[in-house]
Amino acid sequence: MSRLELKHVYLSFGGVKAVQDFSMQAEEGQIIGIIGPNGAGKTTIFNVISGIYTADSGQIFLDGEEITQLAQHRIALKGISRTFQNIRLFHGLNCLENVQTTLDASSKYNLLDAILMTPRRRKEEKRTRQRALSELEWVGLGEYVLENPENLSYGLQRKLEIARALAADPKVLLLDEPAAGLNPKEVQELMKLILRIRDERGITILLIEHRLELVMTVSERIYVQDFGETIAIGTPAEVQNNPEVIKAYLGEEE
Amino acid sequence: MSIYVESVLTFTSITCITVCGLYILTGLTGMFSLGQASFMALGAYAAAVLGKLYHWPFIPCLLVGIILSVVTGFLSGYPIMRLRKEYLTLITLCYGEAIIALLNQSNITGGALGMSDIPKHTTLIIAILFLIFGIYFAWCFRHSKFGRMAIAIKSDELASKSMGINMAAVKMRSFLCAAGLAGLAGGLYAFYLQYVDPSLFGWRKSGEWVAWVFFGGVNSLTGSIVATFGLSALSQFFSRFADYQVLIYSAMVLLVLNFKPNGVFGYWELSDLFNTRDRRMQRLLKEAQTREGALKHEQT
Repeated sequence: MSRLELKHVYLSFGGVKAVQDFSMQAEEGQIIGIIGPNGAGKTTIFNVISGIYTADSGQIFLDGEEITQLAQHRIALKGISRTFQNIRLFHGLNCLENVQTTLDASSKYNLLDAILMTPRRRKEEKRTRQRALSELEWVGLGEYVLENPENLSYGLQRKLEIARALAADPKVLLLDEPAAGLNPKEVQELMKLILRIRDERGITILLIEHRLELVMTVSERIYVQDFGETIAIGTPAEVQNNPEVIKAYLGEEE
Repeated sequence: MSIYVESVLTFTSITCITVCGLYILTGLTGMFSLGQASFMALGAYAAAVLGKLYHWPFIPCLLVGIILSVVTGFLSGYPIMRLRKEYLTLITLCYGEAIIALLNQSNITGGALGMSDIPKHTTLIIAILFLIFGIYFAWCFRHSKFGRMAIAIKSDELASKSMGINMAAVKMRSFLCAAGLAGLAGGLYAFYLQYVDPSLFGWRKSGEWVAWVFFGGVNSLTGSIVATFGLSALSQFFSRFADYQVLIYSAMVLLVLNFKPNGVFGYWELSDLFNTRDRRMQRLLKEAQTREGALKHEQT
């Protein structure tokens, strides 16, 4: 049984076939890359997995359990966490609270506990607070705990978004172009972080990325998308030499 | 204290309880309601009917008012929580006006003439005590997971849902808290004024309160409260120039929102004075040490 499995997923917007017959399997602790030109439907695949869109047909399984029709927040609670292409942090909350919010979704105390300041509330608040703190330290944001996210550099905001996603203790982590806008040094740090997430926590990672040096280094297997269709599947070396892939990226020779 | 000042303070304190609810609804969750006054009407009429006709004591009347507001809030809010925020504004507006229209037609509550000779239970002290409760409620809400989730929803619905937050539940919770506080304020209002009629609770009132919250700073509880007291005192003062009252008042609100879009207080809270960032950080680290100490203890 695979950790995450997609079977013949289709999704269209009107006449645009964004995803056509996409199937994939990811095992525990694997890093899977998804590449392709702009508009190839990569992010749409993430949006279907995380429940923002529901597939027109096809099925999605997490640890053998079907999650195709579940609401977005239910899928997140089942163990699929993600980051966004254009960073989407919560403004009005500091870094610590941003990460804590992920834990709040499953934190167990009610409104009465909150008003009466019961021990249960204090215990749960302390637990989520400390968990969020250690998550921030884990990605290397220990010194920015009470900073507001908009004051952080782009690279640090990316890390914060990853920390927020990791706080849910996901089984699968979807990273949507995590290296976009980062400088070469930050890309190196990100690469190390991605490998640490896999090695130390055993999380399955799906990675959409345009920076080929990153995606080719960390991925075990790569899916190449073009116009909604999968045109190649294989190891980084196989994909790089595939004529179909070269055609999609560089165009056909006249 | 003159009777005039006392009555102004009492009315403002009562209104401020509703504004505490609006801070939760608009300030934290980012939803706009133009029907808060109608929840206040439900609380007021529940108090009036039970207190005057059935001679119920003070507190049970208030409780029934709160429950009535929360239940109707749930029924009117349920179908719209999954829709975009703008729809809530429209629906609450219609719903509020529907309640007023219903009260205008109802025989038991005296129709458009309203009800008078309601017993007087609310005093300035009682109003202030309930206001302290309202502020405490809003403060607890903000500094718990509920406040954080509400702000997350306001900031980014899509990302919140991807973090496992049930958006409809968060919105509904904020909506019901605001409705409940408005119901409470309504009960206190009826027991102070000793008279209610439907025209006291139109949507203009609701709109005015939303303006106050934005004036003081939509992200600041301190700002919402100070704005409520400041602006309602000011409108009392300007009532001598009745012709220009609305003009001056509107100009002020527009000027502030134009030059300080986050309101007078922005994100600032009174508690920031003694709960500085350094102190919070120290507390956090101290707590972290006890955690790590406890872990080491377990291992040995």
